[in-house]
Amino acid sequence: MDKTTIICRCEEISCEEVEEVISNGGRTFDDVKRITRCGMGPCQAKICTSMVAEIIHQQTGLSPSEIPLPRMRMPLSPIKLETLATNSTSFSTVKSVLDEVELEEGKVR
Amino acid sequence: MKTDVLIIGGGPAGLSAAIETASRGLDVTIVDEASQLGGQLNQQTQVMRQLPSVYEPMRGFELANKLIELIKDCNVRQLLNHRVVGFYADGSVGITDEENVFPVKAKKIIVASGAAEKAVAFPKWTMPGIMTIGAAQTLINRDFVMPGREAVIVGSSDFAMETAIQLMDVGIRVKAIIEKQSGALAKEQEKVSELSRSGIPFYFNSFIKEARGNGQVEQIDVALPDEVITLNVDLVCMDGGRAPILDVFYQLGCSFGFQEELGGWVPQYNNRFQTDREDVFIAGNAAGITTQGPLLLTGMIAGISASEELQAISPAEANEMREALWKELGLLEYREVYSGRVKHLENFASPVLKDQFIS
Ligand SMILES: Cc1cc2nc3c(=O)[nH]c(=O)nc-3n(C[C@H](O)[C@H](O)[C@H](O)COP(=O)(O)OP(=O)(O)OC[C@H]3O[C@@H](n4cnc5c(N)ncnc54)[C@H](O)[C@@H]3O)c2cc1C
Ligand code: FES
Repeated sequence: MDKTTIICRCEEISCEEVEEVISNGGRTFDDVKRITRCGMGPCQAKICTSMVAEIIHQQTGLSPSEIPLPRMRMPLSPIKLETLATNSTSFSTVKSVLDEVELEEGKVR
Repeated sequence: MKTDVLIIGGGPAGLSAAIETASRGLDVTIVDEASQLGGQLNQQTQVMRQLPSVYEPMRGFELANKLIELIKDCNVRQLLNHRVVGFYADGSVGITDEENVFPVKAKKIIVASGAAEKAVAFPKWTMPGIMTIGAAQTLINRDFVMPGREAVIVGSSDFAMETAIQLMDVGIRVKAIIEKQSGALAKEQEKVSELSRSGIPFYFNSFIKEARGNGQVEQIDVALPDEVITLNVDLVCMDGGRAPILDVFYQLGCSFGFQEELGGWVPQYNNRFQTDREDVFIAGNAAGITTQGPLLLTGMIAGISASEELQAISPAEANEMREALWKELGLLEYREVYSGRVKHLENFASPVLKDQFIS
């Protein structure tokens, strides 16, 4: 593997970009994701999770059991907004994402 | 929609769980995003010998057909081409048929979501013609499409050896097996000898340094211990191992434990294949990567445990059956996988925070 090897094929994130996050203190998949978009593609990190964990392991010496799983959000796989919205008066997928944002007097804190 | 038992995943594990629950009169629904039940069994042509005693040896797709026939006898609702996309606040499962999303309220959920293959990264590994061994197997056996003519295999697990043989059976030339460890990893050594006998070189302590090609893989450089060789190929099949598919468990709020022998992070469960969310059971490769016989057994145990909680079977009877199935699991499962599983159960019974991941 060299610096240019693609790690996240959906978002075209290279090994170098992942390593840079680690050298800046990143220790989890989600750290890498927040900074590079790695894992945010159509496959929703199904392909790159294990490769990023491997790089974190190699660069930091953390054992695989010390590298937590990425957060797996709804929807579990891509879905058309139209489908999500149809007939789903009670469905909380959209709400569930917003649920994570804490509101104070109707505004994001 | 309401159901007693919702089974997520219609592979061998989900199907055997369906048989155990539906045959006891429970209302069972099975959901799978594929258009056909059977999961990964559908493209497996090799004969499976180590099956639970109720099944005689047969090929993978024959086993799929047999299981599908068995569930037909007991009235299981099938939601094919349906995906689980999430969960409602009240615990109902959000399922889509690609037109609508609708809630399914289930008394018990059995998740048998299977495993995903891991890729092996090297420069230009994303080029067309480079795929996982499972993808190549699916192309040959399910879609009847030749994925290439001249191939190399990266990895030497049982699954990789099986795929190499299947590639050769359809006339693809396998030029080499490349393994970064110092020996073949396959447990069934006969397959390794079969491949060596047919003249395929095994390159140990070796890896692909780079792939090249114009729009598709044409050439690879292989780093052997003391030199770099170049091979002309149009197909590279890589085996990076498999890992349980966890997204459904994550959304359900299950805890995970790390167990190398089972494939890494695995949802935690007890000897009933019940997770820490008491209404959620687990089966199949999602509960740890293993072989066909044990997969079926885990589905049977999960099905029996769910039936017991819904009072379709007495606790005494359930205990007796579970005990017998665990015994069979101990016999059929590779020793290190089985002992990993036992350790996984123990870690769940007496959790140590450092080995546990709570979403
Ligand atoms: C491509 C491939 C080829 C394989 N070939 C071999 C082989 O040759 N030999 C061997 O020993 N092992 C092979 N395996 C291993 C295989 O995983 C197991 O042998 C076995 O099929 C696993 O059984 P299971 O029931 O746990 O999972 P699966 O058979 O994978 O079934 C899980 C099912 O769940 C469904 N599902 C998952 N998530 C959702 C969701 N959110 N919504 C709806 N449906 C969902 C999937 O569509 C799938 O049908 C292969 C694996 C793969 C990936
Ligand atoms: S490979 Fe990273 S999101 Fe798909």
